[in-house]
Amino acid sequence: MAIDLDKCTGCGTCAIACSQENNMPVFEDDSDLPKRVQFLDLMKVTNDRDAKYPNVEVCYIPKMCQQCEGNDPKNPKPPCVSVCPVVATDVGDDGVVSQVWSRCIGCRYCQASCPYEARAFNWWKPRYDGSFEKSLNTDVSVASRGTIVKCQFCTHIWKRERDKAVAKGELDINAVTYTPACVASCPTKAMVFGDLNDSNSEISQLLEKEKKRKFRLVHTIDDKDEKTKEKMMHVKQFPNPKVYYLTSKAWIKEMMKFK
Amino acid sequence: MMGGGAVVGGLTGYVFSGAPFLGLQWLVEWTQDQLVPASGSEAYLKTICEACREKCEMSIRMIGDRAVKIESSNSGCPFSQNALQLLYHSERIDAPLKRTGKKGTVKPSAFEKVSWEEALTAVSKQMNKLIGAKKGGLIAGISKNDDLSAALLGRLIKSAGSGNAFFEPSLTALSTSALGGYVDYDFSNADYVLSFGARLFEGWGAACAMNKALVDMKQKGTRLVQADAVCTRTASMADQWLPIKPGTELILAMGIANCLKKKGRAAGGGDWMAIVDQYTPDKVATLTGLKAKQIEDVANAFAGARNPIAVGGRGGAGVSSSSAELMAVYALNAMVGSRGAQLKKSQGLGEPALSADAAAVLKDAKKYAGLDDFIKNGKFEMLFINGSDPVYKSVYGADLAAKMESAFVVGIMPLLNDSAMYADYIFPSLSFLESESAAGAAPVKAYEKAIHAGDAIIKLAQKVDGARDNFKWNSYVDLVKVYGGAVGAGAVNYNAKVLKDTLAALEKTLKTTEKFPLTLVPTELTFVGDGDGMAFPYVLKAIDDKTFSLGKLWVQINRETADKNGVSEGERIDIESSRGEIGSVRAHLTDTVAPDAIAIPLGFGHRAYTKYARKKGVNPKEIMANDIDPLTGAANWWLTRVKIS
Repeated sequence: MAIDLDKCTGCGTCAIACSQENNMPVFEDDSDLPKRVQFLDLMKVTNDRDAKYPNVEVCYIPKMCQQCEGNDPKNPKPPCVSVCPVVATDVGDDGVVSQVWSRCIGCRYCQASCPYEARAFNWWKPRYDGSFEKSLNTDVSVASRGTIVKCQFCTHIWKRERDKAVAKGELDINAVTYTPACVASCPTKAMVFGDLNDSNSEISQLLEKEKKRKFRLVHTIDDKDEKTKEKMMHVKQFPNPKVYYLTSKAWIKEMMKFK
Repeated sequence: MMGGGAVVGGLTGYVFSGAPFLGLQWLVEWTQDQLVPASGSEAYLKTICEACREKCEMSIRMIGDRAVKIESSNSGCPFSQNALQLLYHSERIDAPLKRTGKKGTVKPSAFEKVSWEEALTAVSKQMNKLIGAKKGGLIAGISKNDDLSAALLGRLIKSAGSGNAFFEPSLTALSTSALGGYVDYDFSNADYVLSFGARLFEGWGAACAMNKALVDMKQKGTRLVQADAVCTRTASMADQWLPIKPGTELILAMGIANCLKKKGRAAGGGDWMAIVDQYTPDKVATLTGLKAKQIEDVANAFAGARNPIAVGGRGGAGVSSSSAELMAVYALNAMVGSRGAQLKKSQGLGEPALSADAAAVLKDAKKYAGLDDFIKNGKFEMLFINGSDPVYKSVYGADLAAKMESAFVVGIMPLLNDSAMYADYIFPSLSFLESESAAGAAPVKAYEKAIHAGDAIIKLAQKVDGARDNFKWNSYVDLVKVYGGAVGAGAVNYNAKVLKDTLAALEKTLKTTEKFPLTLVPTELTFVGDGDGMAFPYVLKAIDDKTFSLGKLWVQINRETADKNGVSEGERIDIESSRGEIGSVRAHLTDTVAPDAIAIPLGFGHRAYTKYARKKGVNPKEIMANDIDPLTGAANWWLTRVKIS
């Protein structure tokens, strides 16, 4: 996925669409942010750590599970998958880090290890205040209390599309594309989604074109040269996420570095 | 002995059989019951969103008879995404309500459900009583915006002999009062956009149209210059942010006009231009905090652009600009001969035929410039609240509530909002998903006994003396395809006296006083707007923790200013103006706000409007400035002098 931060207005449509698609539980007071159950966190950031009025700017960064890969694409090791004691979370050939809520035992080890704080824990039983149950999506299971949930790039939509294709006789998994709820809803076309392994896909071409503007969250190894990268990857597993952000603003890339 | 042995044997057998573990497993599964949503066949239905003028096409994913997802083929906006939460809201009003208890609450025990027949009869009886006594002029209505139901309500009230059908002061309403029409901007074809505090991409105007415009503007490299005291997202996305002192948009507009005049451009007539002459770049620089050269450069670029537009109307969903400001900004478009700012008017339903009594009452009635003028100075014995929430949104909300206590009030809405606290009857209305549109039949059937606001008014009119002949339609459906056109509006009447008076008052307010050394300005979260979003749980889920967290609203204060006033990050402060005090907010120190200013989010502090909105934060309108504009009749609440305690 690629999210163009120069186009994002922070309107929140992606967050609301995600909540609707993925059966987010309903809370009368949802203002305890660390305990909030959401897949997509619309972060508001500013450069005023390092700048004074009026040389300031604000920006919104929609953050969901970054679908990490680890150092070796052939042997993916996302930080969360490595620590799950029950394989409730796993990474497939499609690169999506899955989460099976009913397998989760709620140890929250994955939540602790996630470098992006992208995982949510169900501190309370997911409830829908009665009537909101009517708009629940049958493609996404309702979690139980005490389990971790997270964004899975709406792979249930992919499965739905693949099933429709199979019914028509199309068996090639790569012939089917889909759009996650957030990407589909973005009113300014700031989000692009597709197959990073396909060099002809829109996203691959976009990332190829936007070498200067692209960056990944908290992934400063990207700035290093090849030799240094190799050395660093010998020492530890880097997240190597699949979500790229595009920005023409240097401060957004800089703000993740310690000062 | 044998029995004991049998018991022990039995117990042992039970323990080792695995049965207790199965029992535990069953217990765990039973208590952790996961809801399984009802399945059904999947279908996609089409409709048109009627939330604003843009009429975006929507696709609704259905599972059986349940609507589970909304998609838009147009640019869309967050409000259409909230439609399912409205459709299935736990506090949706399911039948007409009659108040049985005291006003000032929307607790279920304060109302009893009645039939439509009873509700319509009671309300029409009240209307006929006033009409019969030649007091039809004491009937009033407040609608949210100029949609079909508002047109029908205005027609009904006029048939009774009253011209007191008002709109909440939206951008359209304010512009229509100040300029004679709303401004239809062509953002997509402009090469230079000069915005005076209009937070273009944060809920201003028609959100979906603005999102589309943003895509076009980025593609074409349109230059955006944003004047604002707060570094909003729009200001950050702009090519140039003019960090003006809070509330000085009008003065900046005068400065730009002054520069344009020197280049031989004119608009507004002699008296108007005489005032423009006084606002030299140096004077404007002092008042706005900008540099004279900055102002001149912007004016030059604006004049030299191929297709420039100057945009007025400060704010996002909630707009507050004086008529002088709207005229002054529009004048800039006239001065450069802009093709991208056309004045338009909504085509209404035509004038209703009036009975002799109604015509007489109407003729002698006092006219009010706008809603706040009416709230403050007007009288009513009967009031319709049509999809609006003036008790919450108007700075005169408390005054209105006091008058509503003794009047007969009818609320037409799908959820009980703050204004409903003073309603005698509630007519439950529909979301756009349950309404017929130009795309065809309603995709979802109406919720319980709720009906379209237009239908409620048409049905009511059948029972009202002097009105039924003006309502020869069966249903709003008959009007959906014909209503909603716009026509060109005439030329602007530039009122130099209003300009002079407004500038004088503004310059006075800008002066720091010892009692109120700081200024309060509003901000908004796009998905909360100026309050409408707060009823929806998924909106609450998107609010960041420096706006609202752990049940407390946060305000934003400049770091230096906070230092000067001894305020630290997260500290609880009270804010006071000459109108009173709002308290219990937390201070977030940030340089995205101008010095000596406090930025406060709108939309919080509801007293009703579902458990999701109720009692969250404070409503700054309670203490915001309330001088009423002579042309718009709305209070100009943008800039308020305050102090921290």
